[in-house]
Amino acid sequence: MIDWMAFLIVFIAALIAAAAVVGLYALGLRLLVTAGRAPLVAPAEFTDAITVMSEKKRLREEKRVEKAVRKNPLTPAQRMIARIGAYACFVVCGGAVVYGIYLIIPLFH
Amino acid sequence: MEITSLVVILVIAFALFFDFTNGFHDTANAMATPIATGAMKPKVAVGVAAILNLIGAFLSTEVARTISGGIIREGDEGVLITPALIFAGLLGAIVWNMLTWLLGLPSSSSHALFGGLIGAALVGVGIHSVDFSVMLSKVILPALVAPVTAGVIAFITTRMAYALTRRYDKKADGRSGFRFGQIFTSSLVALSHGTNDAQKTMGIITLTLIAVGSQDIGTGPQFWVILVCALAIALGTYIGGWRIIKTLGTGLTEVKPAQGFAAEASTAATILASSHLGFALSTTQVASGSVIGSGLGRRGSKVRWGTAGRIAVGWLMTLPSAAIVGAAAAFLAGIGPLGLLIDTIVGVAVILGIYLWSRRDKVDHSNAVADVAASGGAVKITKPRRKKKKAKS
Repeated sequence: MIDWMAFLIVFIAALIAAAAVVGLYALGLRLLVTAGRAPLVAPAEFTDAITVMSEKKRLREEKRVEKAVRKNPLTPAQRMIARIGAYACFVVCGGAVVYGIYLIIPLFH
Repeated sequence: MEITSLVVILVIAFALFFDFTNGFHDTANAMATPIATGAMKPKVAVGVAAILNLIGAFLSTEVARTISGGIIREGDEGVLITPALIFAGLLGAIVWNMLTWLLGLPSSSSHALFGGLIGAALVGVGIHSVDFSVMLSKVILPALVAPVTAGVIAFITTRMAYALTRRYDKKADGRSGFRFGQIFTSSLVALSHGTNDAQKTMGIITLTLIAVGSQDIGTGPQFWVILVCALAIALGTYIGGWRIIKTLGTGLTEVKPAQGFAAEASTAATILASSHLGFALSTTQVASGSVIGSGLGRRGSKVRWGTAGRIAVGWLMTLPSAAIVGAAAAFLAGIGPLGLLIDTIVGVAVILGIYLWSRRDKVDHSNAVADVAASGGAVKITKPRRKKKKAKS
């Protein structure tokens, strides 16, 4: 009577979806870093829940990123591949999200 | 007959108000983590959440169908549920929702709604009125299972996010890039909220329309119902939520971009999958489960179990408390038109009273952040020593 299968399906489906989105996005970031383009996104607004980054700290962080880029042991071609891989990850990640939304809209079925 | 149509109008008005408080309550589910990590400015975040709730309400009406056709036995073989009882149930839900809002507890609007309805049905009709097996499989069990599901998924995905971006050479790891991704995942949570929570009000209005015979049994919500519900929840989302953002964003656990991203992705995935199957789960509890799960997934991150326990108690109390208010209202409504009038007056008085009380110490986007700063000091994080020194300087 109680549909335990439904719970299992929810768990598995949600796990696969979340893991795919998070995994692909993380992998994309990783590849960006490998390609020597570590992203630096400053918070839109400082709250106390985040480690507050002052302007000075931000510049220091940027320098750190630059230094990391300079020391990159990869050849330009390898870096290019990593970058393409990163963008591919982001695209597939976005695609997975769009597909998920598509699945739940009855209008499309 | 005239009284019946008056009651229907009252039910619709109160249902829409409930929808409004629901959005008001639940802004925090989607937007507490991106605000806490600084992915979005509070004002932008709330605006985005409102628009996506509006859109989400149109996407799927599975949950509305669960409510309008199942939990309370209506129709020929069942009992006759009157609009007056639905009204009494709604009153219970609204009063409880307003109260938890005042206290800053992220309690579940859905549980308040079900509690109120069940209480009203038990008093008004009797114990056989509630289909407990549907209750158990579509409401109670999802409520228990969903936060755990979301928590486990958030734990796993947080671990994944950190493992995939970990660097041992202390070079930039690019994790702040998750902050950008959070804009999308938190938007997804807001969208999924629309697919689940706006549906509950649609279900109630549809149930009432079916009860008075102006809609066939087993049909879904009508278009105008979907539209007004979507608008009500969007408006509520936009106007409200600062108070609860305060508790969920900082009180529970410190949130980092990678962690916030994983938590939001898990919340959205769990809610969307459940909505699709028609489970009327509590989006609030799913979001809280994700935040706790992702907190545990992070190294050196510590959930403050005291706060988490306080929230859990709020959850447990929601259904029975709303049921008691709903039952009391149903008892009064059983007297007749006079009882209904008393119900309405008392309900409006309580709502106004709580609203006026809340005005005394107003929390909105201008001072919410300052409060966040104050409570942020109490967050316990065990960081490696090296980092601790850095944070202090």
